[in-house]
Amino acid sequence: MTNPQHTHGPSPQTAQWRLPSGARTLGWGCAAVGVVLLALAAWLGNAAGDGWRGFLRSYLVAWCFWASISLGGLFFTAVQHTTRAGWSVSVRRLAELCGAVMPVLAVLFLPLLVPVLMGGDGLYPWVAPEAVAASDLLQHKSPWLNTTWFGARAVVYLAVWVWLGRLFLVGSVRQDADGDVGRTIAFERFSPLALILLALTTTFASFDWIMSLEPTWYSTIFGVYFFSGAAVAILSAMILFAVGLRAAGVLRDAITVEHDHDLGKLLFAFTVFWGYIAFSQYLLIWYGNIPEETEYYLHRAHGIWGGWSLALIIGHLVLPMVGLLSRHVKRRPLLLAFWAVWLLVMHWADLAWLIWPSAGANAVWAVPVEAACMFGVGSLWLAGWLHWASHCALAPLADPRLPESLRFENSY
Amino acid sequence: MVESNAKSETGRQPVPVGVLGQFDHPDALKRAAAALRDAGFRNWDVHSPYPIHGVERAMGMRPSRLPWLVLLAGLTGIGLALALQIWTNAIDYPINISGKPLFSIPAFVPITFELMVLLAAFAAFGGALVLNLLPQFGHPVFCSRRFVDSGRTGFFISIEAVDPKFDADQLPALLSSLGATHTEVLFDLPGRESYPGWLKIGLLSVCIVAAVPPLLVAAYRAAPKSEPRIHIIQDMDFQEKYKAQTVSPLFADGRSARPDVEGVVALGMAEEDEHLYRGFLDGKPAEAFPMPVTMPMMQTGRELFNVYCSPCHGRVGEGGVTGIISARAVKRQEGTWTMPLSLHADSVVDQPVGQLFETITAGRRTMPSYSAQISAADRWAIVAYIRALQRSRHATIDDVPEEIRSNLK
Repeated sequence: MTNPQHTHGPSPQTAQWRLPSGARTLGWGCAAVGVVLLALAAWLGNAAGDGWRGFLRSYLVAWCFWASISLGGLFFTAVQHTTRAGWSVSVRRLAELCGAVMPVLAVLFLPLLVPVLMGGDGLYPWVAPEAVAASDLLQHKSPWLNTTWFGARAVVYLAVWVWLGRLFLVGSVRQDADGDVGRTIAFERFSPLALILLALTTTFASFDWIMSLEPTWYSTIFGVYFFSGAAVAILSAMILFAVGLRAAGVLRDAITVEHDHDLGKLLFAFTVFWGYIAFSQYLLIWYGNIPEETEYYLHRAHGIWGGWSLALIIGHLVLPMVGLLSRHVKRRPLLLAFWAVWLLVMHWADLAWLIWPSAGANAVWAVPVEAACMFGVGSLWLAGWLHWASHCALAPLADPRLPESLRFENSY
Repeated sequence: MVESNAKSETGRQPVPVGVLGQFDHPDALKRAAAALRDAGFRNWDVHSPYPIHGVERAMGMRPSRLPWLVLLAGLTGIGLALALQIWTNAIDYPINISGKPLFSIPAFVPITFELMVLLAAFAAFGGALVLNLLPQFGHPVFCSRRFVDSGRTGFFISIEAVDPKFDADQLPALLSSLGATHTEVLFDLPGRESYPGWLKIGLLSVCIVAAVPPLLVAAYRAAPKSEPRIHIIQDMDFQEKYKAQTVSPLFADGRSARPDVEGVVALGMAEEDEHLYRGFLDGKPAEAFPMPVTMPMMQTGRELFNVYCSPCHGRVGEGGVTGIISARAVKRQEGTWTMPLSLHADSVVDQPVGQLFETITAGRRTMPSYSAQISAADRWAIVAYIRALQRSRHATIDDVPEEIRSNLK
């Protein structure tokens, strides 16, 4: 749609497409709060009597939560380039920025990696030599599940993610200045490869960091399950950014209710996708009824985790599916933002459900540790986001498809 | 600027069937559509080579009812699939599949999901056709040479003559005032709105011809025949053999299944040794084993005892509720259940081995015969193991080997 006569949309006031000057200060404040909260979490975790284990359990949930938003940002950006999407250009920078926070997450991964390399933190059973010696299965898996190879893989995953995050943001920001259409074409050619890289690294990272908490259990769909949660997380985060920034007076003429509507559609779709994948995993294990597979659901079917599972089915699938079904909801920013917050909470509950029962289901509930970890990692993540966001515009100023995005309308 | 496209070669007088206006820009089209919407026209449409965002709002179209149809069809699919599965699997013909509950929601989900999607897709496809008034074989706009020639590049608005506010004299001027660069009144011969006669006859002929094969098949199947009927899909229905319990004219007694010939014994079925096969010696239960008792035999006995005997008598032969079958029967309060005997009761301990063997071979009271499942040698192995179990309850210090007796102190 390059018809020059057809540009009846508002001429964008791109000065409003930047964060106000206070954002940088806010970022440093977030960083300070994050460091304090994480120190508090570490102290609380140790004080609770479970040593580092009590802290790391919660820290892993928090890290996976915020990392899944950034991973989802990389996926979203790559998918938009691959499909040459026009509608999403004015919200794409928000996803690029989420992906660009990866360096912060890579540094924050050290508390999880170092204990493994030092030989045992109690979080991953396969790290302890005596546990491996006692189990034929763990010995059989040791060529893959050993500390050196685990560390090497973690470095590869994080390096790929940091690289992709920088690549997507830096290329897009440079285009703001030089308006080179060649960058868009290069992104379109590169993004399918990026998607393959992301699919492989996300799958194996979720095997390594979450599934290996119960090293004798396995599910080949596990990577897809983690991805479906990440997709829900990034779409929720983008909706919150889009609604929140407009409320703060930023991007008001860049993001319209039409973009909210489309983000809401995708959020609805991936909420159902999550349920579809979760059920696909459950059905095969339920029907096969083999002890080494059902063990996983056995831990999650009784006591507090039984109720938790039920709450996930209702809260992560049934309620948001019905709630997001109507277009009227998706076109009302506050209602949409409500479901975005709701689904982020559910995404956290999902990750806690994956990690907590595997890492000691019957441990005393450490709510303060969990909260301090979530908000601690979250503050540092937000500090990173604000840092990179305050150095660039919040929408791609010179993307060749920006006019199409600004004009974008949903049909009935 | 009104052009006439009248065709009068048949002698009938053409009548106006609509008014067409052409616009040179989609925005002009949208503005004109909004004006017509506000003026209250009903039977009109816009024509564009590509979808124009927002034109449906300019035309005053209400949101489609299609989503509601799809929702309804989806819910119907869910209801139908669940009802079918619950009725067939849990009510009408309950069947135990690998111990799952009869009413298993997880097992029902895939079919429920698929039927929901299938019916919703049908509703979306069919509903879209019906709501768009398709299939439609003609439209007044095709009376315009200009529309036929440039309909793929131009932007048009057409108002049909059936509209209550239609006025062939005023509307071209109205469209011009709304920005139309060209207007025309569309004329057509009366009666052309119905289907042509050849189409009706053609369709009817096709239907009649299509009905011939099924009618022939039905007539063939209904008529009496002396020859076997043509059977297209055989499915191994007809085979040159006798089935069980059928009549055969080859034998005097008319039975197709033949009894064994008098006095013949199948290979390995003679079982003449009374001691080995019945446990009896000289008409009395044997006091001794028919073979030497060895360690491998004892291990075989233990394995088979745990498979066949322990479900009722328990792993150490205590009877009562120690076996899982017995425990379950008591838990379910089965009224007719008879408690299995303890193998350590005096009445059993005092039995000669031949008597124990005879019990396993022929069964006793509610205990069935195991001669079909367990070979004679293995039954003797079980008897040996039972003896060992009984001995373990009545062992004395003298049974323990000399060199490890001190370990017991």
